[in-house]
Amino acid sequence: MDEIIARSNLYALLSRILLQELDVERLEILRSDAIVLEFMPHWRDWELREDTDAQKLLEEYLNPDFTNLSLLHLVPYETFYTRSDQMIETGGANPVTDIYSAYDFLVDYEVARVVSSDHIGIEMEFMHHLCEAQLKATEEGDQEAVQELIRVQYEFLNTHLLRWAPMYLINMKYESRTPLYYDTAEMALEFILSDNETLSGLVQA
Amino acid sequence: MYLESRRTFLKGTALTVAGAAIAKGVFTVDAAAESVKESKFTNTPDSLSFYPPQDQWNHFQELDGVDWKRGGIDRHGVQSENNPDGIYVNDYMIVPTACSNCEASCGLTAWIDKKTFTVKKYMGNPFHTGSRGRNCAKGYAVQSQMYDPDRIPFPLKRAPGSKRGEGKWIRTTWDEAMTTIGKKMADTIRKGDLLSRKSVMYHVGRPNENGFVPQVWETLGLDSYNSHTNICSSNGRTPTIWTANDDRTSPDWANAKLIFLNSSHAADAGHYFAQSAAFIADARKKGAKMVVMDPRMSNSAGMSDLWIAAWPGTEAAIYLYLANRILNENMTDKKFVKKWFNWETLMNDSEHLNFMLEKGQITKLPADRSFESYIELLKDMYAPYTLDYAVKETHVPAYKLEKLYEMFIWAGDAISTYIWRAAAAGNRGAWMGGRAAYFCIGLRGAIGTEGGTFFHHWHVISVSGKGGSATVGQGISGADVPKVQAWNELTWPPEWPLSTYEMSYLLPHLLSDTAWQKKWNDRGLTVPSKLAVWIPRMYNPVWINPDGFRWIEVLKDESKMELTMNLSPVWSETNWYMDYVLPVGLAGERHDQHSEATFPARWSTFRQPVLRVALEKSGWKPKNPARATLEAHIKAGLGEVWEENEFWFQLCTDFIDPDGSLGIKKMWESKRHPGKTVTIAEWYDAAFGDNLPKLKETATNDPRFMNEEFPVYSYLREYGFWMEEDKIYHAMERELKMEDGEVISHGHKFDAGSMSVGAGGIIKALDHNGKEKSIGVEIDGKKMEGFATLSKKLEFYTQWATDWKWREYAMPFYPRNEDEKNQYVHLVSHVNHKYMTEENSFALNTVFRLPYNIHTRSANSKHLMEISQNHDPIWISTGDAKRLGFKRGDAIRVRIVDTVSGLESGHFVAMAVPTEGVLPGTLACSHHGGRWKLTNAVTIPNGVTDGKVAPGVAPRDLGNKEFLAESPANVGKVGGQSIIDDYEGTTGLNSFGVPVAEIQMDGKVGKLKYVEGIKPFHTERFADYNRDSGNIWWDGLSGSWQNAVAAPHPDPVSGMHCWHHKVLLEPAQAGDKIGDIFVNYDNNLKVYQAWRDTLTRGLDSNSTLRRPRHIKRPWVNLDPSVYEVNIKS
Repeated sequence: MDEIIARSNLYALLSRILLQELDVERLEILRSDAIVLEFMPHWRDWELREDTDAQKLLEEYLNPDFTNLSLLHLVPYETFYTRSDQMIETGGANPVTDIYSAYDFLVDYEVARVVSSDHIGIEMEFMHHLCEAQLKATEEGDQEAVQELIRVQYEFLNTHLLRWAPMYLINMKYESRTPLYYDTAEMALEFILSDNETLSGLVQA
Repeated sequence: MYLESRRTFLKGTALTVAGAAIAKGVFTVDAAAESVKESKFTNTPDSLSFYPPQDQWNHFQELDGVDWKRGGIDRHGVQSENNPDGIYVNDYMIVPTACSNCEASCGLTAWIDKKTFTVKKYMGNPFHTGSRGRNCAKGYAVQSQMYDPDRIPFPLKRAPGSKRGEGKWIRTTWDEAMTTIGKKMADTIRKGDLLSRKSVMYHVGRPNENGFVPQVWETLGLDSYNSHTNICSSNGRTPTIWTANDDRTSPDWANAKLIFLNSSHAADAGHYFAQSAAFIADARKKGAKMVVMDPRMSNSAGMSDLWIAAWPGTEAAIYLYLANRILNENMTDKKFVKKWFNWETLMNDSEHLNFMLEKGQITKLPADRSFESYIELLKDMYAPYTLDYAVKETHVPAYKLEKLYEMFIWAGDAISTYIWRAAAAGNRGAWMGGRAAYFCIGLRGAIGTEGGTFFHHWHVISVSGKGGSATVGQGISGADVPKVQAWNELTWPPEWPLSTYEMSYLLPHLLSDTAWQKKWNDRGLTVPSKLAVWIPRMYNPVWINPDGFRWIEVLKDESKMELTMNLSPVWSETNWYMDYVLPVGLAGERHDQHSEATFPARWSTFRQPVLRVALEKSGWKPKNPARATLEAHIKAGLGEVWEENEFWFQLCTDFIDPDGSLGIKKMWESKRHPGKTVTIAEWYDAAFGDNLPKLKETATNDPRFMNEEFPVYSYLREYGFWMEEDKIYHAMERELKMEDGEVISHGHKFDAGSMSVGAGGIIKALDHNGKEKSIGVEIDGKKMEGFATLSKKLEFYTQWATDWKWREYAMPFYPRNEDEKNQYVHLVSHVNHKYMTEENSFALNTVFRLPYNIHTRSANSKHLMEISQNHDPIWISTGDAKRLGFKRGDAIRVRIVDTVSGLESGHFVAMAVPTEGVLPGTLACSHHGGRWKLTNAVTIPNGVTDGKVAPGVAPRDLGNKEFLAESPANVGKVGGQSIIDDYEGTTGLNSFGVPVAEIQMDGKVGKLKYVEGIKPFHTERFADYNRDSGNIWWDGLSGSWQNAVAAPHPDPVSGMHCWHHKVLLEPAQAGDKIGDIFVNYDNNLKVYQAWRDTLTRGLDSNSTLRRPRHIKRPWVNLDPSVYEVNIKS
């Protein structure tokens, strides 16, 4: 049970950081949560983290870095990495939309503010929802559903995130100019690789 | 390492805030997702075919395009009660109709959103076997024209007390207009004298129907149906008439090996463009080659295998060079020539052979009358047309002509061509170019073959005027309508007895030229000096015809044009000078039967007012069945926009002849409901059903239609298209058909018992009037229909030309040296290089279309104006530009000089664009630029003092029973004037495409200067369709109204206005702006007179006929007696 809660939380945490600029509320969580700080040692040790005004920290340090990493310099979309012409597929032919639709998920673009649904933040949030569904099934004792959801997570991770996110995250790590995004890139990369091992074991079992 | 990490990540359980609170929450799993699940829509379409099966046309759902292009239903889901922000689902009724923007009549379907009762888009009609579901930009533009914010909202009348052209208008009713016009027509017709039968004139620009209005004029007993043809295509039709007595070429592009275009027509603009271009593409995919002959590098020329830039008007020399080589290199298809050329007529005509010898057209008389001697004669006659000669006369390099010959021979009998505008419309004598083209194509046997060239009448359906059996008086197909007893000299002047169509562009000149009128009246004719009523339709002669200021002078003169009305949905230069402007519908707003020869088949579209049809199919019934289309358009919010069919039906029955005393009422009175006006369904069910047997059989045996009151009409209403016959080749070889004692040839019936075979195998028989007619030809014992000529063969020797004083042109011919150019001046273009004697003189090629513009009819389309920008500079070769010091964008003065009279017409100022795409010594500037208006907007109050009626109460929704139950009352009558949606009383005039100008004119000299370009604007009317009108970025100021500077140049044979000009170029002078024009229209009248007096060979005291009887005089059936004439000495 702990494992699924932990996985769900971490997918949620990473998806949020990777999807959009942080808001003050969530920045405060990242500044103060002991577990987060344990996961992100450079961020923890950064002298500006604790004492700088939250708004200032966002506007002058974190948001410019995020903009560089996800809008200007790097491209956090799956199809950019998987299509030979490096075009982002914004239409109905995007490879993940059919999977989302199959589970009655629909991306609300007004909220997401992305150009297509294969953004790393969206794909990670989708994993979070699958974990939540698995958690619910576990609580309800529906083992069949649990197994099915594990299989879906495994397939999605292997068919999508693992095929390209490592490339983005490695680049992100080297391009980042703030400890928060540096640590996020490293943590996210380690986490999805680790999660693949977790899921591989569960699927085989 | 990762196992360690995993243990680390398990700490994620202990986050102080649960993941769900941290995540952004970008997924929705609510109504949006449910809405998609419940709909038929998928994320990606299963197919890219946009034509739903016909059985779904009454109810076809499709997502709105707005969000679809950005992720489709993934974005907002499908709109539903629970998901109001989802993508709108259009619930369409798809109604077929036909495009009317050019002449091709491609199929359209209107996609009518039932919930808003608006046309959301026009698409192609997949059942149309010519356009095959595809359309050009002009087809899709129909929607922007339908919802043009400046479309005329109700009938307009010149304000009482104002003069024509003052621009003062009031709103009137259809009833008032029809009462005034009907009475004036009736008063004129009732006089019953000869003059009255020539004094009510209908003048059509683009008919886009096959015989309806001509039938109206026939029932009125008038010889005043006029058309635009002589500014369009007469020189293209004349060679067809002389050779095959047919109206025009009919190519089989799709199966050709050589596509031989004598212009940019067919492949990138002009006649039947969209259908032809697609067939040409099919052929090229199969390996066909394309040659384009044009002094200007058109889009077609740019993608051709061979571009031949011949000096304008010299094309005949190229064809005769080909003929020379075909004959002398023994590449002639002798079997075809022997069978289908009228060689025996020539070889038996000693007088003409001697004439040819005397004139040096041949060097010796033939040894005998045999076919082999005929071939030897041709070899002799065409031997002078050598490569050297052709290069010198045409300015085409030798290697290109040799390549052309190779391709010509390679193609065998699969050579398709279309002889129409371009060279033919531009140059004096260019009709001979077409004749020479047919000659060399005929020598190769490529006439009537698969992939070859054939003639129009076998490939067209004309039944629009043949619904007579639905009426009390007309009889089946109009058999009981009396023949017209008049010959109108204003349209068929005695100087041009062979003119292909009416000399329509000379109308103001003939009405102004009192000396001309007196001359012919003194010689025994009855020439009108004025018109009681003049009715243009889809026609803007002030702008498009030569010498526009002369048109304005005459239109303003109420003693010459007593009452005028234009049946026009849009503003135009001509409308400005009318007494009435009556808004009739555009492509999707009118009924027409329309067929064209676009490929070797007989097909017809059925153009329909789509919103009316949608209403009727949904159960609506009009209050006044005679005005159903008017009621429907008011319901739809288009305004008081009617259609012509119903207008003419009712004008005849209720306004011209309400008591029946003129014998006109019964012609348009319903046989089914005597006393009532015939209806659309009655008329077209009869017109199609009585004349197209296969259609009738299909419709009456189809369970969907067989029990309908009007099965044929119902069939057409559903499909909008019918093909009666396909793959029509070698039709001249059809054997005469015998049926119930009658013999049928070319669709006409004759008494079989009277049939006889005479000299040359010509078969004659008596028609229903007891007149003997040539109906076919017997060759090798087989009785065939043959061609429509007197000899029933291709007449490359036109024997009857001698009777009409043109003996020297009876054979394909072109002057072979300078002496002959003087002797045979009628065949020499007025812009031949021999006339270019000054350093700054050029031949100006005016006759090409701007690809997305449609003569005068595209300025109401935002869509077309944006993609064309109305851009019309003057093309000049880079060498010439450098020599004269002109750079790109420079304003230059273009002075027009006549080479017959030596008079100067004036000048226009144009923008220079140096290019390699034009033959040195020639210029190109389309005469489709330079639209103008005198004011930006007019104010005409919405409604009259009282009686503003809401068009309806229920919301526009075809699913709403209340909406279907209501219909506006008293439409077209006083008190019935409807409120026009979002119209506050002021309207623009072609705001997307026409800039504002000032004009000055004093009876002799005219000037025009633009004062304001096109600007962005905001409109409330049809606001949803025009919300981007604020984004206009083009100003429309690069063209010039050069047509006004042009003097009329009537070809002495065909009557064609020869559009090209000799011009002198000069730098612009101080104060000149691009678009300025200066016209000496007093000189222009003298130019017309010089061409008439110097070049024509008209009727004289020896004449007994006004025109050869065997050449069709289009539109109305004339009594044979009116052909006879007696001219006093």
